Amino acid sequence: MRILVIEDDTATGDYIGKGLREAGHVVEVARTGKQGLLLAVAGPWDVIVADRMLPAPDGLAILRTLRASGIATPVLMLTALGEVERRVEGLDAGADDYLAKPFAFSELRARIAALARRPAVVAAEPTLLQVGDVQLDLLKRSVRRGDQPIELLPTELRLLEFMMRRPDQVLTKTMLLEGVWELNFDPSTNIVEVHVSRLRRKLAREGAPAPIHTIRGAGYVFGRIA
Amino acid sequence: MSWADATRLFRSFALRTALLTAAGVLGISAFGLGLGWLRSSAALQDVLDRTITAEADQLLREYRRAGPVGLARAVEARMRDTTPSAILVMLRAADGGRLAGAAALEVAPLPLRGFVTGTPTGIPTAGADGPLRLLGVPLPGGLTLIVAAEMRAVLDTAATLASTQLMTGVVAVAMALGFGLFTAWRLERRLRAISAAAADVMRGDLSRRLPLAGTTDEFDRLTATMNALLARVEALMQGLRQVTVDVAHDLRGPLSRLRQRLEAALAQPRDAPTDTATIEAALGELDAVLASFAALLRIAQLEAASPGAAPQPVVDLSALVTTLTEAYAVAAEEAGKALSADIVPGQTVRGDAGLLRQLLANLVDNALAHGGPGIRVTLRPGPILEVADNGPGVPPAEREAVLRRFYRLDRSRGTPGSGLGLAIVAAAARWHGATLHLADAAPGLRVTVDLSPAAS
Repeated sequence: MRILVIEDDTATGDYIGKGLREAGHVVEVARTGKQGLLLAVAGPWDVIVADRMLPAPDGLAILRTLRASGIATPVLMLTALGEVERRVEGLDAGADDYLAKPFAFSELRARIAALARRPAVVAAEPTLLQVGDVQLDLLKRSVRRGDQPIELLPTELRLLEFMMRRPDQVLTKTMLLEGVWELNFDPSTNIVEVHVSRLRRKLAREGAPAPIHTIRGAGYVFGRIA
Repeated sequence: MSWADATRLFRSFALRTALLTAAGVLGISAFGLGLGWLRSSAALQDVLDRTITAEADQLLREYRRAGPVGLARAVEARMRDTTPSAILVMLRAADGGRLAGAAALEVAPLPLRGFVTGTPTGIPTAGADGPLRLLGVPLPGGLTLIVAAEMRAVLDTAATLASTQLMTGVVAVAMALGFGLFTAWRLERRLRAISAAAADVMRGDLSRRLPLAGTTDEFDRLTATMNALLARVEALMQGLRQVTVDVAHDLRGPLSRLRQRLEAALAQPRDAPTDTATIEAALGELDAVLASFAALLRIAQLEAASPGAAPQPVVDLSALVTTLTEAYAVAAEEAGKALSADIVPGQTVRGDAGLLRQLLANLVDNALAHGGPGIRVTLRPGPILEVADNGPGVPPAEREAVLRRFYRLDRSRGTPGSGLGLAIVAAAARWHGATLHLADAAPGLRVTVDLSPAAS
């Protein structure tokens, strides 16, 4: 993937650039907002990672300019700690995702992957999700594995639906908390772990364990291991 | 008063208003007093003319009785009677020659008819000083009867009147100006007192309040408002100081421990699996510290801000509570506890959904971590949200303290937790204008969040 990183802090920029290159992406790191904007507009990029706090133009201004120019490249915004309210502002301005610094690199990688996979045009809403032999009927709200129906609690089904819509992607705990239960913070109770282990138990079949894999230090994957 | 004071006074709003008033007074004075003078002068002139006319009438009666000869005799008699006098009379022939009366009037213009104001030139005659008011009455045979009076008296009176009016005007303007300066000075003094107090505040004395003059006028009202502002600033500064103190004090512990652990690990011989474990554990502790920082910032932001004037979006509270309790019920079951919910559908509230989720999550987190095996979440119409557990509860004496940052009950020390959960709940509740109440659930703790609009 071609990824543009706009970050004025040298250490952070180097860190992100190096990490993404090692993951096999083509990365360009812009050190100023102006340079970033020029490169962003020149394009084409699969994903843009921009720090919100940049000397003028700041991340938000760059984002607005991009969107106003009709550039729909997915943008992940990096913010400083404690910027919860700014999230809504950023999302309204056209950001596709938000990540607070400091972050685990696996988190960044997983979110970039999720952004790149997002279809540019929203297809017609499917009524059935199928990953491997797991089937989720969105209208009837029922689950089968193969020909076996599976009883799930509503809360377990929410998680399954979220994961099945993003098959073969690394989904971090934070992404799951935000996406499934709209929790933009980390509760001290291990909600995600508990739900994943229960889903695994319920989806498991004789000789066919549930297709939920744990990627150590990163998150979970539904489907094949990426 | 120094030069700086003087120039400042000059730019003063009060002074400019006073000058404007003085200008107004000047205008009105000029108009009124001027008009008064004109009309008075005219009236004086009128009196003089009447006197002249009366004199003329008397002489004309003589003419009607005794013809021109009788008139000439009357004119001579009149002149003899009243010298020196302000009245002069003369009878003039058609050719302008004097037939009887004052020689001084020979220079009167020819022909003379009606009233005229003139100045005799060149002929110094007793009783003919300054301008004259002349009345010419034409008679048959080309004769003209001229009656004249000195205008000096009138003019003197008019002049006196004018100077009086002028003095009045000047005094009025001077008074207006003086009054203006006085008002400006008084205002300056009032404002200077306020400025001085404000300067004290800016130097750091936040407890200072501005002095009230006790007059309940607009300045006092302004001062009262500013004092309220200062109180708020003081509270905010206090809050900020508190956060800084809390951060320094309570995060030093975990960071010190982390340092010790890393230092100890460094002293050990390098061993990949152990090192990996150490680094992972260190990262975990750092994450906990960072989470505490985030929570502290959040609390500070919530305490400093209010929702603002714009109404908050409507949040489907019933749905929010239902989703969250379903998720937590699963976690509770795995932990060997039971979480039940009693949620009235259709409850809504104006507020921030994210904050409300965090509020509820923190309460349930707390109940799961420190409460008993049974937890109950209730949503009643109001809306009123309650989370109760059947654990050891919180002693009444500590029910206020637990809401403070980093406060932990003695029995909870050593268990995982930052001590910030309830502080966030308190800040989030306050932000929504909701009241928070801790009570004995007999046994256990019941936390009630009253989000009804009347609660604030």
